[in-house]
Amino acid sequence: MNSQQSAHPKQEIGGMVPEISLPLVQGGTGTLQGFLKGKKGLLVVFWSETCSHCLRYDSFLNEFPQRYPELGLVVIACRQGETAEEILATIAQRNLRFPILHDQDSRIARQWHTQQTPRVFLLDANRRLLYRGAIDNYRYPADPDYQAYLRPAIEAFLAGKPIERPETASFGCAVQSVYYQLPKPLARS
Amino acid sequence: MANPINLLLRPWTRTAEAGLRLMERALETANSLVDAVAGERRSETLLAPPLNGPRNADEAAVDFANRLLLIARQHSGNPLAMAASWSEVLRAAGSSFGRLERDGWRQWMALPLQMPLSFGTLLARTSLRGLHAGYLGGVERLPELVKYSMEFFTDLDIFVTLQYNEYLSALIQDAENHPENAAKRLLLGKTYCKLGRYEEAVRELTEAANDPAIRAEALQERMVARYRAGHFAEAIADGAAALDLAPSDNRSRFWMWLGAQKLGGYPPSVPEHQRMELRVGRHPASVQLEEIAATIGLDKTSGGRGTAVFDLEGDGYLDVILSSVHAGCSLYRNNGDGTFTDITVGSGLEDTASVFCIAVGDYNNDGFPDLYVTRMGFYDGESLLFRNNGDGTFTDVTAAAGVRNWGPAFTAQWVDYDCDGHLDLFVTANHGRFFATPAKNRLFHNNGDGTFTDVTARAGIASDYPFVGATWGDYNNDGFPDLFLSSSLGRSQLYRNNGDGTFTNVSRSAGLDAICVGFVALWCDYDNDGWLDLIQFVWSPEADVLHTMIHGERPPHGHSLRLYHNNGDGTFTLVSPELGLNECWGTMTGNAADLNNDGRIELVLGNGGPLMGSSEPSVLYELGEDGRFHNTSFSAGLPVSGKGHGVNMADLAGDGRLCLIVADGGMYPGDLLTTAVYRPKTLPGNYLNVRLVGTKSNRSAIGARLRLEAGGTSQHRMVHGGSGFGTLPLEQHFGLGKLQRIDALEILWPSGLRQRFSGLPVNDTIEFLEGAAGWRHVYPQKSRRGVAAAETHQPAAPVPAAAAGRGDD
Repeated sequence: MNSQQSAHPKQEIGGMVPEISLPLVQGGTGTLQGFLKGKKGLLVVFWSETCSHCLRYDSFLNEFPQRYPELGLVVIACRQGETAEEILATIAQRNLRFPILHDQDSRIARQWHTQQTPRVFLLDANRRLLYRGAIDNYRYPADPDYQAYLRPAIEAFLAGKPIERPETASFGCAVQSVYYQLPKPLARS
Repeated sequence: MANPINLLLRPWTRTAEAGLRLMERALETANSLVDAVAGERRSETLLAPPLNGPRNADEAAVDFANRLLLIARQHSGNPLAMAASWSEVLRAAGSSFGRLERDGWRQWMALPLQMPLSFGTLLARTSLRGLHAGYLGGVERLPELVKYSMEFFTDLDIFVTLQYNEYLSALIQDAENHPENAAKRLLLGKTYCKLGRYEEAVRELTEAANDPAIRAEALQERMVARYRAGHFAEAIADGAAALDLAPSDNRSRFWMWLGAQKLGGYPPSVPEHQRMELRVGRHPASVQLEEIAATIGLDKTSGGRGTAVFDLEGDGYLDVILSSVHAGCSLYRNNGDGTFTDITVGSGLEDTASVFCIAVGDYNNDGFPDLYVTRMGFYDGESLLFRNNGDGTFTDVTAAAGVRNWGPAFTAQWVDYDCDGHLDLFVTANHGRFFATPAKNRLFHNNGDGTFTDVTARAGIASDYPFVGATWGDYNNDGFPDLFLSSSLGRSQLYRNNGDGTFTNVSRSAGLDAICVGFVALWCDYDNDGWLDLIQFVWSPEADVLHTMIHGERPPHGHSLRLYHNNGDGTFTLVSPELGLNECWGTMTGNAADLNNDGRIELVLGNGGPLMGSSEPSVLYELGEDGRFHNTSFSAGLPVSGKGHGVNMADLAGDGRLCLIVADGGMYPGDLLTTAVYRPKTLPGNYLNVRLVGTKSNRSAIGARLRLEAGGTSQHRMVHGGSGFGTLPLEQHFGLGKLQRIDALEILWPSGLRQRFSGLPVNDTIEFLEGAAGWRHVYPQKSRRGVAAAETHQPAAPVPAAAAGRGDD
């Protein structure tokens, strides 16, 4: 870890991602290995309680365990400056049912080279990276231009087939920005 | 302009400008005097983000005015409602004035004097912008323009700081508290749409549509939300209902047409008078394009802004960097065959969010092009200098190099303005936020040791109009690059380089000080007469764009792209109307290159407006044999909708086919699009790509001029140091059509050295080293694809260069 590059080696598709350990907003601590226990793979989602893009996938994530019982799911709240209290309030308000780890200083997001939320990583049982990118192309399923990215990747993996498109676009809200530190335009609290 | 007020006002515009400027200066001087008495040092130009808020009375006045604007918007501009929410106004005042840097009682005593002076200065500045806006669109369109700007700028405040959830909560509360007020539902519905929450948007807009006073607007917004959610039939029905209420509503007409394209035609229920045809972009194209972003791996960036194409590591292959409004930059390495690997991770650029412009230039002459990036453009941001380490990574050297800058910098250019062999840096300052303290353009002189000195004041180019674009080029052929500044709302400027580090403003005598909503600009010798002409890309409001699409030409009051012919005597003539450039587009960026390899340039335009109801195609103009430009966009295969920013043209595979890169996407979270790349399906003609390496000149050879002679005609090019959102590669592309032979290539280096070569290959990419005889092939001959002819063109003994003195022709 003597340079910026070696501190954050790029996670190659097919390579093993490093283990992480972060506080679980709902209480306790979570690790990738813990969420992988008894599962064939794991979906890791970099997320933010503020992000309007993430919000679109609330029901997808809430229903994920039913849809893919063979896979684990963990969400990492990683936006610079978001507090555990804000995340807990959002969990209650939006009735979120998935485990959320708190990457308070965006350290893991940086290590995983994640600039935007939501960004998903699909891992196999050995923490090998299978897919990285967006859930879909941010269109709605009714749109003929809609393209699912994650679903075909998961289905290929579960069927034991190679994933055709293991890396897709980066969509969403910035994890870090100087604008999050500037005085807020809405002086409310 | 039939309106008598406009007829009366226009001749007095210069007088009114002078009066308002005088007032502004007088108030500023008075404020300085108060500062002096109070012992307060006026804060210098901001170099770092003001994390503690406004520092002085001027900044506080601006901040407070913007906060009031936000409150006004929430209350639909109703003064009574604003007065009733006095607690919000007080809180805003507390936020703006609460953290002023005050040192001692004298400075506090001075505040009551400073505040009216600061607000007065702000009023004078704002009136000047109003004057220019009124001049452009006529006073009758001013209220609409103010409403539009207000929505855009107040949204920027909320969206860049990610305060949209707080904003949404306030709107929900407000709508619940005033169930009788449909306007509040409309605002809430529009905000949901901006966030990509279309179901909720439709719900609120349905409520709002119950009020006859705003039904047409609510239906139109619901149409947009439904279209974006993929419900095209419903969107068309909404558009039809909105059109029934407002028959001149071209936005509904256009989105209905877009919906019909998706459905394969209009539903039978849509009456003839609500239908339209797209009357532009259908001129027969000489080139057929295919979209290949996913195929070559350049599809991993959304919300695209700046693009740049450059050789990252000196391996000869052209690499790509794309920036994104919501996230960091993406860096793609060319695999050597025109496909790309995303190497963002670990590059040092990944956390650089919200970059607008990426200027590429080797400022330290080490052989690896470096990057200077601006941020946001319509909002204050931190510009950064990244030194290329030569191994695919970059180091932020902004502070060490002395080029820190905080402000609404839009574009930046590398230029060796004093021809000393070291690239200097120029940064334009736009107007950030609705009310703003004027930011200054900045010229940084390269000291030759990795550091820079701000020489703006000495150079005499500290102009106080808001500028989006700048382009450097030697328009008078005296050997020194001159500067054209494209104003986003005000008068554009031309500064002639005096050759001694100073500049003279010659805008008026040159005929280049027109008022327009100028965006990026480009020096380009479109007619190959050896004199650099000027292309100024102009942003038009959506109504004018819709008029263009429906009627095939701009409305009578519309403003098109401005192409100025250089008369060779220091003056310019506006020739765009007679060259067929008579359409209105919301152009933020544009570029010129020979896409169809026919020896004449093409223009590409990235277009769009920020609002969710705006969708515009990118536009391709081909310069025909008749000497006129023709819009061939859709015949060539470009899509009919989008929101283009950094458009670029580069030969990514080294096979002679220029790829048209369009960084697409809007500023709202609900308006995400991915980058697209369009490539000619086949090689449209012979070509030669030329790269230059300076030795005495700056290594990037920025500012060099090239003249290629073939088939009895000549083609002229200049190496640009950044033209705007889309930073063209330093490589120069010459189209040759069917010609198999090049007679000569003449290079005029920035150092003044002139070299002439003959016996050049066709269908190849070659590189010249300043002062050296001959050239070298850039690509290994065996790995080049699709260019059978090239294998036979090994260079014979290169013709020795003929050196000349400084170019003073």
